[in-house]
Amino acid sequence: MLAVALFAFAGSAALCLAMDKHFSELLGRKPGPHQLRGLRSAGWLLWALALAVAMNQRGWAVGLAEFFGVLMAGLCLWVFCLPYRPRWLLGLALAGLVLAPFSALGLI
Amino acid sequence: MKEGFRQAMAWLHTWAGLIFGWLLFAIFLTGTMSYFKPEITRWSQPEIPLRTLDTATSLARAQDYLQRHAADASSWFIELPDERTPGIGVGWRGGDGPRGFTRKTLDAQTGEEIHARASRGGEFFYRFHFELQMPYPWGRWLATFAALMMLVGLVTGIITHKKLFKEFFTFRPGKGQRSWLDGHNAIGVLVLPFHLMISYSSLVIFMYMVMPASILASYGGDQNAFFNDVFSPRQDIQASGEKVPLPAFPQLYAKVLEQAPQARVIWVDVQRPGDRTAQVLFLPDGHERIAVRRGVGWRYDAADGSLAWTERPEHVPGIIGGGFYGLHMATFAGPLLRWLYFFFGLAGTAVIGTGLVMWLGKRQLKHAKSGTQPFELRLVEVLNIASMSGLLLAVVGFFWANRLLPVALDGRAGWEINVFFGVWLTALVHALLRPGRRAWGEQLALAALLWASVPLLNALTTDQGLQHALPAGDWAMAGFDLTALGCGLFLAWVAGKMLRAPVSAPRRGARPAKAAAPNTEAQAR
Repeated sequence: MLAVALFAFAGSAALCLAMDKHFSELLGRKPGPHQLRGLRSAGWLLWALALAVAMNQRGWAVGLAEFFGVLMAGLCLWVFCLPYRPRWLLGLALAGLVLAPFSALGLI
Repeated sequence: MKEGFRQAMAWLHTWAGLIFGWLLFAIFLTGTMSYFKPEITRWSQPEIPLRTLDTATSLARAQDYLQRHAADASSWFIELPDERTPGIGVGWRGGDGPRGFTRKTLDAQTGEEIHARASRGGEFFYRFHFELQMPYPWGRWLATFAALMMLVGLVTGIITHKKLFKEFFTFRPGKGQRSWLDGHNAIGVLVLPFHLMISYSSLVIFMYMVMPASILASYGGDQNAFFNDVFSPRQDIQASGEKVPLPAFPQLYAKVLEQAPQARVIWVDVQRPGDRTAQVLFLPDGHERIAVRRGVGWRYDAADGSLAWTERPEHVPGIIGGGFYGLHMATFAGPLLRWLYFFFGLAGTAVIGTGLVMWLGKRQLKHAKSGTQPFELRLVEVLNIASMSGLLLAVVGFFWANRLLPVALDGRAGWEINVFFGVWLTALVHALLRPGRRAWGEQLALAALLWASVPLLNALTTDQGLQHALPAGDWAMAGFDLTALGCGLFLAWVAGKMLRAPVSAPRRGARPAKAAAPNTEAQAR
């Protein structure tokens, strides 16, 4: 479930950054159009990856429930902490992205 | 035309939300608590000791007890312990208990009866969640209608929310009314799959009430016949009069495990114990999948120990119905997922609460300058306070009553409930007497104090306070105390915001709430 949560959280972060307004606010510079498109694709890809890992680990039914559970929890964490601790959240998303594959493969 | 439609939906969202919001807040909060029903019951009856799980031993102890105390009863049931429920529940037809059954709780290891304090524990909140302490079937009807209104509120909310995707990640704190709307929208949208699932599934659970036409057409007034056909693996058996001793239940249980090694039996139903026609039915907990399956189990003829019946073939509508049931109740969820359910339940409660606060705040702004508050706004204000902070007080009042009422008190379980409603009513009176913002602050401060001191109360009145529960790894007990402490700290934070606000000196005849209440939003950074 950890891998699912980490992938989903990184995906949510990417999808948030894929919005012009949030990108400029969080990173302090204007995004290029390719960057936004790249982030959006990456976000959806990471969500899909999270879903795939969840279904692979727990079967489609429980996997789907777990995926939605950790996805929604991660989104709430992201949105409600963003005004207070943006750097911290970006770091968490990045660290999650690094750790997620190891977790998915059962290495941590 | 389009704008007209959206405005109509906004109107519906506003008014359905207001009228049912107070009730839905209580339904959501108690429902959220019910995800930890066994843990709440465990905390409420600390006399029941934790034992290592051993189903076969528990079965033998229960059978022994029932044989000694209820050999002549026409039926028995045994509720076996699991990770979350430490005691054995046994019961038999006869006596003056609920639904004509006598119930006892036994020590899972010794099989001795435990005289735990009488308390409904988590069962009270669970029942309140969908019966609202009203007689059957009115509470269920009202709760179901409220659920329908929740679904209406969600759908109209989505339609009304103009920038659902554009503001998907938006929360701007410290901006008064704007922040409340952001928060309301964000919790609503981010947790939308849960909100939709929980509201819709509640309607599916009660579909026999909401849409009974097909049942009435086929079965007439005899609803029980329908339930027996579709769900119940139980059978009414006539006694033959010929006495045959029951086989040992652990042996029958071993046969169950041969058939289904993964099964976790939690319920045993015995018809006509001691008679030649006796049958013993084992029911599994169904934890291994989401869709709750009725009509599955293992029923043995007691006379020769042969398998009389095992399961009914599944049908697609049954799987869909059972799927929604399982999703709603989280029967399949492990500890982590259960906590997520709990938090999303709180999120649902918060959506309703923020909606109620906004309804009032918006309208109070219009009257801020004139300094007078119309009767209807004052009414909504009082009901908001009583239904939210009042309920939080009532719930913690129940837990305090659980620890402080004398164990030997007659009708003790009922008194806990009386305290719950008594505190709630007192909160309503208090909200009537005090200006709005003061009432909020005072009730929340008291609630914070009572919630935060639950661990202290537990430590003083039992030997299972945190200092014992934590080293013993008793996570149900420790988790309850720590959650209560967490609630207390959160409420203290909110109460602090309410009480610190610059409230003009109260003068007779001019309630400060009128001027102060619009600032409610601005203060709640």
